[in-house]
Amino acid sequence: MSSKMSMKNKRDLLLVTLLFTILGGIFILFRLFAFQGEASTANIYYGTSNNPVVTIDFINYRVIRNYDQQVSNDYSDNYPIIDEANRTVTLLGDYELNGVRQIVVIEYNFGNKSVQIIQEQSPNHICSREGISTSFPLICLPNRIRVEFDMTDVDFTV
Amino acid sequence: MTNMRKMTLLANFLAIAIVLNIIESAIPIIPVPGAKLGFANIITLIILYVYSFKDSMSITLLRVILVAILTGKLLGVTFYMSLSGAVFATLAMGLVKQLNYFGMIGVSTIGSVFHSIGQIIAGIFVIGSTAVVAYLPIMLFLSIPAGALTGLIAQRFYIIWQSWHNIIVEIK
Repeated sequence: MSSKMSMKNKRDLLLVTLLFTILGGIFILFRLFAFQGEASTANIYYGTSNNPVVTIDFINYRVIRNYDQQVSNDYSDNYPIIDEANRTVTLLGDYELNGVRQIVVIEYNFGNKSVQIIQEQSPNHICSREGISTSFPLICLPNRIRVEFDMTDVDFTV
Repeated sequence: MTNMRKMTLLANFLAIAIVLNIIESAIPIIPVPGAKLGFANIITLIILYVYSFKDSMSITLLRVILVAILTGKLLGVTFYMSLSGAVFATLAMGLVKQLNYFGMIGVSTIGSVFHSIGQIIAGIFVIGSTAVVAYLPIMLFLSIPAGALTGLIAQRFYIIWQSWHNIIVEIK
């Protein structure tokens, strides 16, 4: 019995080491080679929709409001709110506190073509802790809001 | 008598799993946003070895549903993600245990990998976009040490359990 146990333990150790190495390698390669290049636009989506609510155009320095969010009459503001002075876009997320849906504030920067979720309500504020991004999608699952980037192809032939 | 003891022990295991689950979501131990060690999975694994796959699955499902009710997030986005992750992990662990090739740590690690896959699949449905798949590499990578650690804890527990449980049976 004890030799059988130790045999299994050896296999476990091998499995854990192997998986750790393979998945660690995939993770490092993914970080190095995926999501390269410069973003031309950033699209902000809400819910399961594939039509962006707001499009941030990094080439023409514009923020385009595509359509209004469907919000019940209990909420006085018309979302999304685009604040050009502070460079923020405010949407209404799905996360509720005491039955009230909470806002998600996204800051954009035309200079380094980046986007960051700066204010939201979610367990442990996981969404704003995702940090600043220039290409990697920012996804706030509790609020069902996501930011995806359209990339311009980088010319490697130069 | 054995049935009553089993029922009492399963109820205790369920209570422990719920407490572990709630404490863990309240205290971010790992600095990576949203990542958890999955301590509640220790209970799923222990029941899988002490009792059966059926008991393990029902206690896991009850745990996910009761935690959602207690935290007020039933049928919310996070509920579907933990449900999908937990079902995938328990199914995978049950199958791998049947193979009788790996020990508890191996079974737990594979369960942990499938937990990540289950969560990502639920995530795709929740936001209607495959963009969540971009998070799969880091989740899979982190799931290995988390799964190995929970497996190690469950294994330690199981060894102790076997000795004291056998003593109780002998006294009877």
